[in-house]
Amino acid sequence: MTLLAHAIAASPPAEVSPEGVRGRPLAWSETGGLGLWSTEWAPDIKLERPDALEHHRLVERICAAQPCLPVRFGTAFATSDEARASLDKRAAGLRAALARVAGKSELALTLLWREPSATPNIASAAGPGRQYMESRRAEFAARESRRARAESMVESVIAELAIERQLVWHETCTSDSVAVSLAVLVPTEQASERKAQLEQIATGFPDVIPVLNGPWPPYTFARTE
Amino acid sequence: MKELTPEDTSLLELVDRLLNKGVVLAGEATISVAGVDLIYLGLNVVLAAVETIEKAQERRAS
Repeated sequence: MTLLAHAIAASPPAEVSPEGVRGRPLAWSETGGLGLWSTEWAPDIKLERPDALEHHRLVERICAAQPCLPVRFGTAFATSDEARASLDKRAAGLRAALARVAGKSELALTLLWREPSATPNIASAAGPGRQYMESRRAEFAARESRRARAESMVESVIAELAIERQLVWHETCTSDSVAVSLAVLVPTEQASERKAQLEQIATGFPDVIPVLNGPWPPYTFARTE
Repeated sequence: MKELTPEDTSLLELVDRLLNKGVVLAGEATISVAGVDLIYLGLNVVLAAVETIEKAQERRAS
């Protein structure tokens, strides 16, 4: 039997439905005041796409019942002893991370550029070498200008939300379409209010389309480093 | 190239969290997903979602 890991929580385990992924039994492996929620899996059963979303729904269910740290999808242990040994190995970090996310949820904001990046128009009179260099320079300038704009939007969001920086994670310009990908850790009972606030701030940016998601379990803030 | 829609973006953000965020436990074994490397799962899920969205749009149009 394999254990497909979902979330880590402090003991005692909350009362949750005993059904794991694909209706298989949900297991609790405990050691030193910490426990791992996982589905009893069989090594020969391959994970499919819907299992990833079912893992998400399961983590949501566990996090609604007790503070928990989501485990990266696809993590498995051959035995319960192996799972417990893994928890023991980083127990201090896991306890600190659990304390950091207890009672909090994650909101996700993605800002998509409304217009594609403008293609630089280089004068055709220039020689091919110069045209190439000018074109590269214009592309670099355009990219840097977009990055600066994206960073300025992040700063506006942080300032207007009046939130500590350590509760915000972000990346900018991760693809041609994405200006900002940002996550905020907020108290769960204020999640709706904070989401509305985030939406109001984001719709004030004329050059991007905001996409808001959550509240989700605190995936982004579950790091133990 | 297909541009990202808000629907694609939501799914992509979620899948990114499932596969790239969360606690990484020591001594883990990563299960392959139906023989597909996990790193490609996100893209496959998004492509599947795009197909679903397009089919739903076609149904609404007909």
